[in-house]
Amino acid sequence: MSIAPLLNKVFMVDLIKGLKVTFKYQHPKEVYTEQYPLERPAIAERYRGLPRLNVNPETGETLCIACNLCATACPEHLIVVQSERNPATKRKEMTSFTLDISRCMFCGLCAEACSTDCLELSQDYEFALYSRDGFIIDRARMERGSEPTVYTR
Amino acid sequence: MLDYVTSYLHSSLTPGQAGNWLWALVYILVIFAGVSGIVIVMNWGERKALAHMQVRLGPMRVGPHGLMQPIADAIKLLTKEDIMPSEADKPIFWLAPVWVVMIAFSVFIVVPFGPTHAVTDMNIGILFMLGVSSLGVLGIVMAGWASNSHFPLMGALRSSAQMVSYEIAMGLAVVSAIVMTGLGGIGPYGIGSGAGSGTLSMIGIVQAQAQQHVWFIFKFFPVGLVAFFIFAVAMIAETNRAPFDLPEAESELVAGFHTEYSGLRWSLFMLGEYAGMVAVSSIAITLWLGGWLRPFPSTHGPAINIPFLWEHPEQGVVDFAFSFAPALVMLALAFFSFFNAMRMPKHPLLKIQTIGLYAFGLVLAGVGLILLAPPVRDRIQDIFWFVFKIACFMYLYIWYRATWPRYRFDQLMKVGWKVLLPLGLGVLLVTGIIGLGPEIAAWLKGVV
Ligand code: SF4
Ligand code: SF4
Repeated sequence: MSIAPLLNKVFMVDLIKGLKVTFKYQHPKEVYTEQYPLERPAIAERYRGLPRLNVNPETGETLCIACNLCATACPEHLIVVQSERNPATKRKEMTSFTLDISRCMFCGLCAEACSTDCLELSQDYEFALYSRDGFIIDRARMERGSEPTVYTR
Repeated sequence: MLDYVTSYLHSSLTPGQAGNWLWALVYILVIFAGVSGIVIVMNWGERKALAHMQVRLGPMRVGPHGLMQPIADAIKLLTKEDIMPSEADKPIFWLAPVWVVMIAFSVFIVVPFGPTHAVTDMNIGILFMLGVSSLGVLGIVMAGWASNSHFPLMGALRSSAQMVSYEIAMGLAVVSAIVMTGLGGIGPYGIGSGAGSGTLSMIGIVQAQAQQHVWFIFKFFPVGLVAFFIFAVAMIAETNRAPFDLPEAESELVAGFHTEYSGLRWSLFMLGEYAGMVAVSSIAITLWLGGWLRPFPSTHGPAINIPFLWEHPEQGVVDFAFSFAPALVMLALAFFSFFNAMRMPKHPLLKIQTIGLYAFGLVLAGVGLILLAPPVRDRIQDIFWFVFKIACFMYLYIWYRATWPRYRFDQLMKVGWKVLLPLGLGVLLVTGIIGLGPEIAAWLKGVV
């Protein structure tokens, strides 16, 4: 064994280097943990969270034209769009829209297929539930969009 | 009766030596409470320091910065279901944790927290400590055997093998320190004519360091340091702490010897482990780091007696300056907690926690102010320095655990037998040769 590695071993240089690293990381500014309900993480814009149905901000009407493209695009077939033709305007109007998020894998194919930018994946990530019942979300829930949980004592 | 109580107050002996049962009992209770207190603080401190080293926060919710976490943990452990495997060897399974705790605490009988602050002083103190503390391994082996399960048995086997290989190196290092007590000279390289005390008593060892005006870690400079290093490594292996935590290696053996234990019994093991850590640290402190002596013992006043300094302030300026250290440390801690209370996020949910932290700071500051008062200041010194050194050792334990990965078993054996054992023999030889230097020289002259 040559002399340098031997000295390295005898004086445990590597071990001491390791100690130095851990000591430095003790500084409070290095802490990476978030105090979750008090401080929330900044979610990237491209994050694919809970699907949302957009409405026209001026009229409050839905942008959905009930074309059913999203339901066809979904690999899980978990979107159900029901519609009926309005005899006055001769337009198809969406009557109900349900989405089973317990099976959704947030691939975003539905949002890509949507012809009117109505269906979109929002940045909402807080939709854990105590029972399976609430996982099929309807039109009203999807139009309300993200509802951050507020914790009180 | 009153005479019996007060007569001890003017004694310069430990209660055990003075034959005062009452004060011995008081000392036992105080030391038991104190060590349990250290274990509680250590529980919080370890989780906190470990978390910060791993860029986490650690406990934050129970009390300000998780200060009440140990209490919550204790309640949880006490109320947990007490499971005893049906195939276990019941009496031994029951005895093992009790044994571990008993051994870990009985060691403290001879630990000198100050010249008179020990339950008793034995003339074979260090031998007693080593002997009793290594009995703790028996508890681990019993736990492993009685659980009637593979993982605990593996853990127990590892533990006993580890003890056998590290006890020897540890003993050699200890002997080298004991040899040093027999040398009369003053200072790091003093050999001196006329033998020193040459003692095995824990108090005697510290007094020898005081007489030689040097901590034994600096005696014959590299020699004492190497002996201390051997002991420091063997000590970690003895207490089954990382990087030598093979008996409980959670990534290999689930939890090693205490896999089958839960609730109160498990917490007894933890108590025993931490008390054992304090115990071996206090051996190291007594033997090499000057026990209750403050840093730079060579600058003590003419009389080495630290207590009752306030009656003779002329005895030394340095002593006087150092006597403020306990109060200053407490005030620094108080400042630290005030600082952190001010930095707490202003959130209504955190209001109680912030107030709690301010209150904690106030308590610390109060203790600091009490420690400033002259009679308290001088009486508390020796205990303070001992506890301060224990705290440093505890921090080192945490630091090692956060940094180094676990050794493989063959590596562990290699370090024990091929490195520490020869090193220990060498240190013992060199200590002896230097110590007997004048005699050897005279003998050589006679021969030539
Ligand atoms: S994100 Fe993917 S799985 Fe979820 S509804 Fe849209 S297409 Fe279906
Ligand atoms: S693709 Fe868009 S517009 Fe068509 S049904 Fe789905 S949500 Fe409505």
